[in-house]
Amino acid sequence: MLCRVNLTAAGIEVLEADNGRDALELIRRELPDLVLLDVMMPDLDGWEVARRLAADPKTREIPIVFLTARAGEADRRLGEQLGGVGYVVKPFDPVRIGDLVEEVLTRIEQGEREALRRGILDDMLGSP
Amino acid sequence: MSRSSAETGLSLEALADAADRANRLQRVTDRLAEALTPQQVLDAILTEGLRAAEARAGAIGIVSEDGEWIELLAQRGYKRPILTEWGRFPVSAELPMSHVVRNGEPLFLESLKARNELFPNLEGRGRDGHALAVLPLALEGRILGVIGLSFGDDMVFSEERRKMKITLARQAALALERARLFEAEQAARQRLAFLAEASELLGSSLDYEQTLSRLARLSVRRLADWCSIDMVAADGSIDRLAVAHEDPDKVKWALELQERYPPDPDAPHGVSLVIRTGKPEFLPELPEEMLEEAIGDDDVLREIVEQLGVRSSICVPLNARGRTLGALTLIAAESHPPYTSADLELAIELARRAGTAVDNSRLFQEAEKGANAARALAYVADGVVLIDGSGVVRHWNPAAATITGVPEEEALGRRVHSVLPAWESLVSHVPLVGPDEALARPVTVPIVLQGRELWVSASGVDFGEGTVYALRDVTDEHALEKTRSDFVATASHELRTPLAAVYGAVRTLRREDIELREEDRLAFLEIIEDESVRLTQLVDQILLAGQLDANAVQIDLEPCDPVQIASGVLESASLHLPDGISLRVESNGVGAILCDANKLRQVLVNLVDNAVKYSPKGGEVEIRVDSEDGECQIEVADQGLGIPSSERERIFDKFYRLDPQQSGGVGGSGLGLYICRELVERMNGHLDVDSEPGKGSRFTVALPASG
Repeated sequence: MLCRVNLTAAGIEVLEADNGRDALELIRRELPDLVLLDVMMPDLDGWEVARRLAADPKTREIPIVFLTARAGEADRRLGEQLGGVGYVVKPFDPVRIGDLVEEVLTRIEQGEREALRRGILDDMLGSP
Repeated sequence: MSRSSAETGLSLEALADAADRANRLQRVTDRLAEALTPQQVLDAILTEGLRAAEARAGAIGIVSEDGEWIELLAQRGYKRPILTEWGRFPVSAELPMSHVVRNGEPLFLESLKARNELFPNLEGRGRDGHALAVLPLALEGRILGVIGLSFGDDMVFSEERRKMKITLARQAALALERARLFEAEQAARQRLAFLAEASELLGSSLDYEQTLSRLARLSVRRLADWCSIDMVAADGSIDRLAVAHEDPDKVKWALELQERYPPDPDAPHGVSLVIRTGKPEFLPELPEEMLEEAIGDDDVLREIVEQLGVRSSICVPLNARGRTLGALTLIAAESHPPYTSADLELAIELARRAGTAVDNSRLFQEAEKGANAARALAYVADGVVLIDGSGVVRHWNPAAATITGVPEEEALGRRVHSVLPAWESLVSHVPLVGPDEALARPVTVPIVLQGRELWVSASGVDFGEGTVYALRDVTDEHALEKTRSDFVATASHELRTPLAAVYGAVRTLRREDIELREEDRLAFLEIIEDESVRLTQLVDQILLAGQLDANAVQIDLEPCDPVQIASGVLESASLHLPDGISLRVESNGVGAILCDANKLRQVLVNLVDNAVKYSPKGGEVEIRVDSEDGECQIEVADQGLGIPSSERERIFDKFYRLDPQQSGGVGGSGLGLYICRELVERMNGHLDVDSEPGKGSRFTVALPASG
């Protein structure tokens, strides 16, 4: 909800799902430009959702930014392996989430997807 | 009779003389037969023998062991003190006795003139006698000694007289030899008895230092005036273990002497030489020059040596298994006669036995030390494994057997790689240090042994002949450590999620660039409130777990109504219930129980929260309160995910989470059930679980009824 309010304020159209299963269905149906994916979710966790999106040629190219409380390096590596282009550790500043989405999309357009992926270990939004 | 005498030309007088000589000879023979010791033989010869030979005086000399000297042992009838004057003279001398010893033939000198003709060097000496008969004491071609008989006048030695004297000498030689053999046998018997006594002493104790001191004292009574025992120390120096003498003051004096004049390990004689060479040193007579060399210009030392009065010494090595362990020194001084080769043999045998006893005692001590070490290692919780230079297992203590699952008898004497195929992968990570280096740092390594995964902390010391490894099974510690680090990660996730919500809501509420709808603004405020409560609960749980560990939780037991508590819990839970979950409480007329109402409430809140959390698809959560056998049972049952049987006990472990990745989306600190069980047990009850995966779980709190 926090993200939705701030993203909408930035002029970004937002679709929301409460759990992994609904999220997967929504993404497959709507094919969004970018997915902000929480890791700890009921039913299917964020890792599994990312795995299934990567396995499907239709959704493989959709960039994923993980939003998670898991700050460990092993978790970031897993995010990288699963094709994430961004990794945002909670708590983060939701006011800047719109700028982040714009920046990621612009860089992907400029062919910097790999550079984003390799930079996944860096925090994209500073902690308070 | 007279005719016959006339026929042989012998006078009646001559016959009487002959009979008289025969009688006298018979008396000598009788006396000699009775004589047992050499001294008794000498006495017999010099009394009855002199009489029989009609001599005025006589002396007996014995040839020394080396055949070079004649020692005058006894005399009878001489006015001059010839034993002092002639005590000892060479066989090579130009003297009648030496002459006879050299030639082995009797010598009859009928006058001084005849003597001086044969021995011009004696001209003017020995005027005591006139005629002289010198007879060899010969036996089977060996010359044992010589008898000299002096007569008052010049004398014609008739054939009969000569024969009679030769017979006398032959009988004397026989008697002397017999007495010597008897004496030698007696001495041998005594030596054997001494050796037997010494052996018994040596075998009496394993404290060889004490035993050798007693041996020195025993030797002083039987073998020596002085006896000392020196041992080679570990650093190669020589330590005096014992000094013995009959007089304790002399022992004290000798020990002081030892302090003042410590032994020179490079000395060319004595203990140092014997220890260096492992060979005996025998000085039947202590050479003057050796004493002089040892004394030098030291007048004090000279006085000491004179006081010691050393005449003869034996120093023999204490050898065992090709090594010289020390030396035994025997000294004949004021009372003991100079040593003979028989004494040397006895000393060698004594030292051989003492060396063996010392060696045995040391071997036993080493074995006992080894056995003590092995006993200690048997009780050590760490596995201790000794591998020799060729990779063969030499020690494998019970802890090593427990850790590896390989019994000692299957490991000992076998190559470690065949005993334990995983050995190489284990020790390849272990850095070895030398025996003198700093303590080996253990490394923790995972290995798979007989299908089990173990974490082993291992360290190794290479001591040249092999390597000793210490192993410790740290699987449990490793699991605990992992649980702890998992908890830190979990706790941080758990704290980050409500923090993110609070921070995010505040940041959004404070945005001035956008207009928030009223319903969104209220929703953000609610988020802040709810998440703050969640944070508080989390922090409380962490604190409570810490207090339980420190045994600092106060429990106040009093009679309570369990149904009332259960109903209250369900009532609060129903206020924020997710969709699809229904709650109900069932009871069966249960009486009061003895518990701390607040703590029981806390337990039930937690169990109901869990039931709701692990029922993501909804379902019924029921609390059933029953009593049975003076016990009240409160069951919290759900229709949720359930718990695999392998996890049912572990869910009560501190920090343990059924789903540490939280992939099911269920958050928690991993402390809830640990806290529940701890609290119930502190109220004298127990908490158990029953579950069927996919169908739900049933937690049962059992508490004693009141009164």
